Amino acid sequence: MYDLLVLGGGPGGYMAAERAGGAGLSVLLVEKNKIGGVCLNEGCVPSKTLLNSAKIYDHACHGEKYGVTSENAKIDQEAVISRKNKVVKNLVSGIKYTLKNNKVTIKEGLGVILGRENGIISVAVGDEVYEAKNLVIATGSEAVVPPIPGVKEGISDGTVMTNREILDLTTIPESLVVVGGGVIGLEMASYFNTVGSKVTVIEMLDHIAGPADRELSTLLQKNFAKKGITFNLNCKVTAVGSGQVTYTTADGQTQNAAATKTLLSIGRRAVSQGFGLEKIGVLVERGRIVTDAQGRTNVPGVYAVGDVNGVWMLAHAAYREAEVAVNTILGKKDNMRYQAMPSVLYTNPEMAFVGETEESCIEKGIKYEKTVLPMNFSGRYMAENEGGDGIIKILIDPDRQRLLGCHLLGTYASEIIVSAGMMIESEMRIEDIKEIIFPHPTVSEIIREAIFHHN
Amino acid sequence: MATPVIMPRQGQSVESCIIGKWHKQAGDVVKAGDLLFTYETDKATFDEASKVDGTLLAVFFAEGDDVPCLMNVCVIGEPGESFAEFNPNGAETAAAAPEVSPSVPSPVSDEPAKGSAETVAAPAGDLPGAISPRARNLAEKAGADLRFALSSGPNGRVIERDVLELIASGKLATSAAGKGYDAQLTGTGIGGRVSVADIEKGIVSAETASPSLPAASSPAVSGPESYTEKHSNIRKVIARSMQASLSQMAQLTLNTTFDASDVLALRSKFKKAGEAGLKAEQGFTLAENVPTINDIILYAASRVLLHHPACNAHYDEEKMTYFNHVHMGVAVDTPRGLMVPTVFNTDLMSLSTLSVEAKAAINACKTGAINPDALRGGTFTVTNLGTMGIESFTPVINPPQTCILGVDTITTRVREVNGELKGYPAMGLSLTFDHRALDGAPAAKFLKELVKALENFSLLLMQ
Repeated sequence: MYDLLVLGGGPGGYMAAERAGGAGLSVLLVEKNKIGGVCLNEGCVPSKTLLNSAKIYDHACHGEKYGVTSENAKIDQEAVISRKNKVVKNLVSGIKYTLKNNKVTIKEGLGVILGRENGIISVAVGDEVYEAKNLVIATGSEAVVPPIPGVKEGISDGTVMTNREILDLTTIPESLVVVGGGVIGLEMASYFNTVGSKVTVIEMLDHIAGPADRELSTLLQKNFAKKGITFNLNCKVTAVGSGQVTYTTADGQTQNAAATKTLLSIGRRAVSQGFGLEKIGVLVERGRIVTDAQGRTNVPGVYAVGDVNGVWMLAHAAYREAEVAVNTILGKKDNMRYQAMPSVLYTNPEMAFVGETEESCIEKGIKYEKTVLPMNFSGRYMAENEGGDGIIKILIDPDRQRLLGCHLLGTYASEIIVSAGMMIESEMRIEDIKEIIFPHPTVSEIIREAIFHHN
Repeated sequence: MATPVIMPRQGQSVESCIIGKWHKQAGDVVKAGDLLFTYETDKATFDEASKVDGTLLAVFFAEGDDVPCLMNVCVIGEPGESFAEFNPNGAETAAAAPEVSPSVPSPVSDEPAKGSAETVAAPAGDLPGAISPRARNLAEKAGADLRFALSSGPNGRVIERDVLELIASGKLATSAAGKGYDAQLTGTGIGGRVSVADIEKGIVSAETASPSLPAASSPAVSGPESYTEKHSNIRKVIARSMQASLSQMAQLTLNTTFDASDVLALRSKFKKAGEAGLKAEQGFTLAENVPTINDIILYAASRVLLHHPACNAHYDEEKMTYFNHVHMGVAVDTPRGLMVPTVFNTDLMSLSTLSVEAKAAINACKTGAINPDALRGGTFTVTNLGTMGIESFTPVINPPQTCILGVDTITTRVREVNGELKGYPAMGLSLTFDHRALDGAPAAKFLKELVKALENFSLLLMQ
């Protein structure tokens, strides 16, 4: 009998197990595939190793404006992938080590819920049955594969890929069509564009980068277009195959884009089937497990964290949701908040944002004031970005004088955004933020600049 | 020669006092009789006036500091005189004195900043009446909402430790949320703080804010299920004393009633005399200050107790201590909880004196200005729930006393007089006694004599 059984070893699952084990609970973590989940094995982390290689290659190829020229810069895709595998392997063993340190038992195999009796939940893994007082479901999500003609065949012959396969691609395709201009699609577009593929992004909406602030996503698109990526917005893919992707445009025309390879990145779907949720009557809506602010489902003792609850499909959301659920199990008061959830696109240039966008403010009827500033107000940005056109946009609550949103397009945005998140999460007033000292010269100072430019 | 001013000792039981407010600053010219500072014990507030003329040379403690009794608090003398030798903290910190600025305006009122709490909304709950400047400053810094603070200081004053406890218990609001919100809100912001979203949504508790899941079968609750408050010192004292009483004594209660006709007639006579213009200066003190029924019972009990030494005594494991005079404990309900001041030697007092003294003690408790020594030394206690319509109860003895008399309400009873049923006002008395100290019969005898005294109170008064 365990205090806690965790289904799924991705960020939500391993964090729940680690925190619960660290608090002295007996924990069993069941993972059907690889500890670390999609994030570590075929998502966030591996894509970052690729993007770093691309960045170095880009600097090597385009150093002239900084007075640096190099010849014969080459990208070795096989070496890139093997380094990625090494990084992933090291990180996976790091997580296993941490789990062991927190006295978490790991069981590999598919965990299937058998039932719940007298508050005890039983889960089968293979022939073994385990019992636990609490269950955290962290089964994550999988790429949506649309029923478009040619997709099924393409996946079996390797010309159509999801995030999983593309991160193991050891050759650089001559042309790549990215279906879906969200975070995953844009990061891969950025990578393959840099390393030499002819990249086309096809997006159904009229904008890229999903919920990002429109002004910034438009600017990012311009940056990409300048680098040679083709964008087809308001377009719908109708067929895939024979080295091309067929799509219809907004005005109903049918067109083709060359596609040695095609990446499907139209979205992700919560994994809520195939492991016995129905046996204990967990409420699922549109494929997602319904949870409250403590991560509780409708069944006492059963929690759901991470992508499977569909609230905010990000690894760091899963981390925090896991902690909230474990705190709730431990009887510690905690609740999940999403108003300061940072989002990052590790593209080149990077984009990061937290809090409200202008669009979300308008939709929710939130009063806001904005200040937009070129990133060149930061000395370090200018020193390092010849011809850089990044911007910062901050949104401020005029009544409460607090930061509502912060949007960055430029170098180090991914690393800087956390400071804006802290300001939003802790609801500092603008006058409080003005008292914060930023190191000089750094790109992070752009936040301070924007705050002081705001009237 | 400079003169030090010490922290006075207020009663033998007081070890130290907290400085509440400085009325003078270092450098101010003071005259004998000028108010120097206000200081507080657990239960009362006092003023310290200067005894000499001169200049306040140095101040060694700040508002909110807990200063041991008899320690030097400040020095008065001629400008330029040396005072370092008086500094209890050592010479090196004497220069810190000018920092003490009793009238430090709070940052909020000082600077009506855009977005500060005051410009957002009016506070939706009541702020505690008195807040020490130190507590206020700390609360401002930490974003603690003073409305949630206990007021464990004298006079219901919020002092620094209340704010520290408040911070520890997590009742905080974010900077932007400020303080303009409903005190019922449960914080769901960072660290449990009340956030802007909490205010806007009017979330009452994190639980009820959750999406309503089908299995949740309990009816919708509109308020929080419960809330917690740490015990005030006075609550802790009451708890200790009451538990000790009930766990260590063999107490039981006898109930009886007395015919209150005489007492009521007498009171109405006093009242009428007062209305007719009879004045204290003419010798009619009872007409001008009409005693309450409780005063009358205190008076009667003080007389009758002298005949029943076991009821006017202290009991401990070894011995009984009998008192030759009655030191009457008077239970008082105060905003901070039950307090029992002692009116000493009530057996020697006239009814009018006893009435005035009891009233003074009760008021001192209610305002928190009671001398701590007046809360000890009782030999017998009277507690009155009759004003709330209680017909009979079991009062709990205040150890080491042996008895406590509960005064109940007046009900109309009937009795047969010459074959006729007649109503009369019957007032209840509930005497709890410690069976370790005395047996049932002696306790009943005391009660019987008390009934007789009260039923013939006019005669008792004439003696």
